[in-house]
Amino acid sequence: MLLYRQFVMEWKLFARDRAAMFWTFAFPMLLLAGFGTIFRSGSAPAVTLVAAGGAARTPLAQALATTPVKVLALEGPEAEARWRKGETSAELEESGGGLRLRVNTYLMAQGQMAAQIVQQTSLAGQVRARGGEPTWLPVSMESPGHATSANYAAFLLPGLLGLNLLSMGLFSVGMVNVSYREKGKFRRLAVTPLPKWIFLAGQVLHRLTVTFLQSAFMLALGYFAFDIRNQGSYLLLAGVMAWGTACFMAMGFALASFAQTSEGYAAISNVFFFPMMFLSGVYFTLDSAPKWMQQGVVVLPLSPYLKALRAVFNDGADLSGHGVGMAVVGVWTAGCFLLAVKRFKWA
Amino acid sequence: MHPHMPPELALTARNLRKQYPKVLAVDGLDLDVRRGEVFGLLGPNGAGKTTTLEMLEGLTPMDGGEIEVLGLDWRRDGAAIRARIGVQLQSTSLFNKITPREALELYGSYYPRCLSADALLDLVQLTDKADAYHVTLSGGQMQRLALALALVNDPELVFLDEPTTGLDPQARRGLWDVVRRIKAEGRTVILTTHYMDEAEVLCDRLAIIDHGKVLTQGTPMGLIQELAIPSVVELTFAAGEPDPAPFAQRLGQAVTARAGIWEIPTFDPKALLPGLLEAAEASAVPYQQIHVRRATLEDVFLHLTGRSLRD
Repeated sequence: MLLYRQFVMEWKLFARDRAAMFWTFAFPMLLLAGFGTIFRSGSAPAVTLVAAGGAARTPLAQALATTPVKVLALEGPEAEARWRKGETSAELEESGGGLRLRVNTYLMAQGQMAAQIVQQTSLAGQVRARGGEPTWLPVSMESPGHATSANYAAFLLPGLLGLNLLSMGLFSVGMVNVSYREKGKFRRLAVTPLPKWIFLAGQVLHRLTVTFLQSAFMLALGYFAFDIRNQGSYLLLAGVMAWGTACFMAMGFALASFAQTSEGYAAISNVFFFPMMFLSGVYFTLDSAPKWMQQGVVVLPLSPYLKALRAVFNDGADLSGHGVGMAVVGVWTAGCFLLAVKRFKWA
Repeated sequence: MHPHMPPELALTARNLRKQYPKVLAVDGLDLDVRRGEVFGLLGPNGAGKTTTLEMLEGLTPMDGGEIEVLGLDWRRDGAAIRARIGVQLQSTSLFNKITPREALELYGSYYPRCLSADALLDLVQLTDKADAYHVTLSGGQMQRLALALALVNDPELVFLDEPTTGLDPQARRGLWDVVRRIKAEGRTVILTTHYMDEAEVLCDRLAIIDHGKVLTQGTPMGLIQELAIPSVVELTFAAGEPDPAPFAQRLGQAVTARAGIWEIPTFDPKALLPGLLEAAEASAVPYQQIHVRRATLEDVFLHLTGRSLRD
């Protein structure tokens, strides 16, 4: 009864905190909707290639008009002016009797895509000039587990689910407890007969239901906006989510025990938060990162955790290939839990 | 065997000690608080008042000594004591968006017995703010809510740590009224303060504390009289005080002159005043105002420590 009251009060106060509601529910959904839309695969990339002066009148430039690249023919000075303004990602121009392609280092993504298409078109033109016909290899988009869903949102969604757990643990649990201690909320409770475990249990229950709701919203958004489905069993997915929730909650309690003030906690938690947020494969894979960095990040729990989560969610796999990863998460959970129990202070 | 305290006492402390890494915060402190009285711990900042109070409240473990609260011992009966005492900490931090009514109901639910939120809101005059978010209350209202929270379990003994610090004069008076009402309901109150006027107005008895020790205990009037500090008649001057020597001679009393004021100490202002007024008239002393200042707890503290309370 006491626990239930405590739990209901936590929810009431949380629901009144608009900032918390935004960051917990709206923000992750906006991220998913935003990035999912921007990087929706299948839609043709809008790449503009500037063809300067005589280059615009070459057979290559004419052949490019049939590709997804949009060719913009400009005279020399105009092309140069556009380049200087930084608007041109790639420019085809005459150089020493031949052609050359200039790619803007500030716009590498579009520039490289343009470069690739120009090279292919150029090679195909050379093959045709010798009386041949180029053949294209079929390309199919698939996830590592051979799932059909191939859009970026499907990759991002499990990443955001994991990131939500991380920020719930480090901020909703860790930061909140440091500030309760700093502001004396715990001391006020300590002079009442309320058993302390009830207060903490109320908090944990509240965070669990928040996480559950938050994940349900994300899955619903993924399903309705991007047609993303959980490929594995929902039971296994719930189990993996619970495993992660335990880990990051324990981490929050453990880190909170090392800080005296909110400022101190911000410094400590960011040491863990930012590397995990950027280097654990939430938004992109780290396959092109240096080996030492990849291995270093594996030591932090989010990276192996997301691999397992994606295996279940995107590929419908079981956890057989992720025993070590889940064990790493488990070791973090156990270590943080022990630290938290040993070091936790009310005042 | 624990010595049981007499039933007329609400709390006793014997030889209380608290050692922090760098300071001996409480150094062999003894207290006896009677049931139904308002007992004050008066002392400057850093005297050890709050540490003492927190040991009495069971918040801070003591390094030595004995405490008995309502006939119970913290080491054995913590839960039972907590159910019967009310505590207002120096600063009570609540959630920004909790309302006074919700806070009172929530904290009330922690106790086996609790008073109704409406009655408490009425007692501290917050009925019209019952459903406003905590963050929108003024400083005085927050303090009154903190006081109501300390009463939520209908406690026999109430601890108030600097209840009026940081409040404007009007809000302080409002809080004093509430403390008087709490006493009228038959509760025992122990409060700390560094305001001597507050101690004089509110406390039936008080202990003056400095460097973690009780310097003296008693009723405010008793302490003042006991020290035999004279009252002071003050003549104030608008534009610099004249030389007091001729006047002093005529009056037959020592007169101290300082910063636009003449001070004439006396144990019997009533007997002195007629002659003083006559002498002032005769010497044509151009004074602007006259008033009699009796000794205060501030003087008691000054006398005991050689320092002022605000130092």
